[in-house]
Amino acid sequence: MPVGLYFCQCHGEISRTVDTARLASVLSRARGVAVCREHPCLCGADGLAIMQRDVRDGTVDRIVLAGCSPRVHQETFTAALEAAGLNRYMVERCNLREQCAWPHADDPATATGKARNLVLMSLAKARLLEPLVPLTFPAVERALVLGAGVAGLSAALDLAAAGVEVVVAEKEPYLGGHVAGFHRYFPRNCPPMCGVDFMVERLRADTKVSLHTCAEMTEITGSPGNYQVEMVKRPRYVSPEKCTACGECAGVCPISRSDRLGQGLGSTRAAYLPHPLAQPRAYVIDREACLEGCDLCSRACPTGAIDLAQQEERFALRVGSVVVATGWESYDASLVEQYGYGRLANVVTNLELERLASPNGPTGGKLLRPSDGRPASRVAFLQCVGSRDLNHLPYCSQICCAVTLKQVGYVREALPEAEITVFYMDLRAVGEYEQMYREAQEQHRALFIRGNPSEVVQDPRSGDAIVRAEDTLSGRQVEVKADLVVLAVGMRPSRGLERLFPSLQPSSGGWDFASGHTQCFPFEMRRSGIYPAGSCQGPMDVSTATRGASGAAMKAMATLKGRVEVRPTVPVVDKAKCDKCKRCMEECPVEAWYWDETGYPAPDLLKCRQCGICQGGCPMRVISLKNFGIKMVANAIQALDPSFAGKGEPVLLALLCANDAYPAADLAGQKRHAYPPNVVTMPVPCAGSVNVAWVADALTNGVDGVLIAGCKSDQCHFFHGSDLARTRLDNMRETLKRMMIEPDRVRMANLGIADDAAYVELVTGFLSDLRGLGPSPFKA
Amino acid sequence: MLDACCLMPDNRFLEVTELPPRVIVDKCDGCKAEKEPLCEQICPGDLMTLSEKTGKAYCRYTRDCWDCMSCVKICPQGALETRLSYQLGYYPAKLIPMMGTNRITWTSIAMDGTVERFVVPTRNEE
Repeated sequence: MPVGLYFCQCHGEISRTVDTARLASVLSRARGVAVCREHPCLCGADGLAIMQRDVRDGTVDRIVLAGCSPRVHQETFTAALEAAGLNRYMVERCNLREQCAWPHADDPATATGKARNLVLMSLAKARLLEPLVPLTFPAVERALVLGAGVAGLSAALDLAAAGVEVVVAEKEPYLGGHVAGFHRYFPRNCPPMCGVDFMVERLRADTKVSLHTCAEMTEITGSPGNYQVEMVKRPRYVSPEKCTACGECAGVCPISRSDRLGQGLGSTRAAYLPHPLAQPRAYVIDREACLEGCDLCSRACPTGAIDLAQQEERFALRVGSVVVATGWESYDASLVEQYGYGRLANVVTNLELERLASPNGPTGGKLLRPSDGRPASRVAFLQCVGSRDLNHLPYCSQICCAVTLKQVGYVREALPEAEITVFYMDLRAVGEYEQMYREAQEQHRALFIRGNPSEVVQDPRSGDAIVRAEDTLSGRQVEVKADLVVLAVGMRPSRGLERLFPSLQPSSGGWDFASGHTQCFPFEMRRSGIYPAGSCQGPMDVSTATRGASGAAMKAMATLKGRVEVRPTVPVVDKAKCDKCKRCMEECPVEAWYWDETGYPAPDLLKCRQCGICQGGCPMRVISLKNFGIKMVANAIQALDPSFAGKGEPVLLALLCANDAYPAADLAGQKRHAYPPNVVTMPVPCAGSVNVAWVADALTNGVDGVLIAGCKSDQCHFFHGSDLARTRLDNMRETLKRMMIEPDRVRMANLGIADDAAYVELVTGFLSDLRGLGPSPFKA
Repeated sequence: MLDACCLMPDNRFLEVTELPPRVIVDKCDGCKAEKEPLCEQICPGDLMTLSEKTGKAYCRYTRDCWDCMSCVKICPQGALETRLSYQLGYYPAKLIPMMGTNRITWTSIAMDGTVERFVVPTRNEE
């Protein structure tokens, strides 16, 4: 266990304040230290060569680098030392620059005392370091794409182009999703089936791609890289391979049913083609609508494609990752009762208007009043139906304004003399959609009235719908008669998402989409290897969905390359002492824990994100992250000698989350914000990784106060690490109170990465409070 | 009846009428609804259990508790409290453990309020 201890002067940046020469001479006699050297610049070629020589000689097998923050030059050091034959996990960095020399330039003596303690703590940790190698796991080179709307199809294309096998499952009997039923899509206003067809043809030509319609996933188990999924394929009763779409079956079918794709506006036979351009171009039989015992269609079919006895088919798949492109559904417009949807025949949704305007739709593209089939020459659009409303959808669905602007064009095109009125709260036509707004006003001569209609009623004699609203710009009450009222309803994620992936980000404030951490990790779900794409992530237009799908496909590739590599700093359980209390399972933010074959909890290393929340919560203290374990940190805390600050001076131990709080402390040093040197810091992977036993250790060791600083509650990289740390500390504070120890000696704080000033204020304030409280009762 | 008594959030009432161990209901999380919470696992007299009604731990037969403090030491939430056994010190004397990684810190509060602390090493680490 020979340790190489190296002090870097950092060209005087450190040695100006911290007496590195003296520390090097004193600490050369510390336990386990084989070599102790001081150098003006360890990260330079010369400095690296010295350390490399000691490693090659076999003089040292682990290294403590007392110099700059572990957040800088990490790769410089590990790469050089690895080249010399040292395992990259055998390097312990000790931060003497950002968190000692720089902020304490005005007190070199105490700064040197603090530096000595920081080094002693690092040495204690270094003694327990183990050489580690990355873990590799096999990964299946097959992806599952759930949903074959534009997002799912795009993701499938990108995955196929990357060379992996792709299975696409669509629950409807046709591919293309919602847009397959649209008349046109913006901003180019072209027919969507052109794009869908293009993608489907390319996917079909790819032997590595299999497309399933009427198919859904029922269960998913396993780990990233190796998920087992159970699929169900509902009967279509028509073989798409044999069907020529001749239509004989529909010709003899005696049953008429409401057309689902047509949004119920029209009807089809029970044997039907979803729409003329449907992919696959094959009929479907709606057995629920069939007459019992009727087999006219199967007798009429000239190719023998119909099998009315077809059964549901279940199959299992092993896949490396899953792209969830399950899409959206319209908000139920009938819930906005005052607009009469479902009661008044001439009130339709924007989705229904797409079908009315489409040449493939129930009216062949003619805009007719559903009540009596007369041309709709007066059309009123109502924006934000159920959107931006705390009683319905609290958010803006982003695209309904653009949809209406597009649909204004449909109306004008169909009926050049139509009267078009748009009632709106705010028009949100962002980016290039401004152009559509201008066209709607100037070319299509739509009348825009700013006001949310109070109600829509029907004139009993003419069947006209009457929209009542206040024009808020003029302050007048208006009544507009319309043949057709189009409700611009918002989007919500398709149902079933939460059932299949219960560990999605929790919904908040009525927002149920799987949106992840939208700025930094937009595809992140609580489970690795499962990535959302398209409008299950949020309301979006087609171009955003296709773009996002490429992103999700790229993310999915990580667990599709035949093998997955995992950092070796994983949690390990000491089964001999484990009580199986399952707190690790309950508190793990990514549900990585399971019962292994011996009946003990074990982490699924592929799901684990190595935050250490299990280690922090374990009441038996038997879970340890590799190279950052319970014992290692306890030893480091034990190594801290709180007398360095001088008699009567309090000493504070700060355990700082490596994601935000530790960088904030570094930043304070970098900006040379001065604060008292009585604070000794240690980075932790997450505030949640701190076991309260460490806090107890520190207090009994004579430390006067302990600070745990994590990310802000809603910014925790591990979802609830910060919150858990706070709860655990709150419990401890209550215990301390009963022990007649001031609870204020332990504190939890939340810091952002740029909160350097807040950090300085926090530790300075804490230290001055500790002075007020007097020395810790455990101080010798 | 016992169940309800132990779980009364009104601590004063409990202290006067109920025998320890006392469950600090705000802190107890029922070991996350585990079938057998840690206090139940550790109790040598099999006295502790979870209340189905509240999901919190309670002592079934407080008279049978001999204040061994196993439950107090193991509770991850610090939600249990016992008294010193009457042979050692009458109410309101207390003995409170705080668990470190390889030591227990005992705080003894005598009847007259005198506070003493003892740090005792636990496991022998090899």
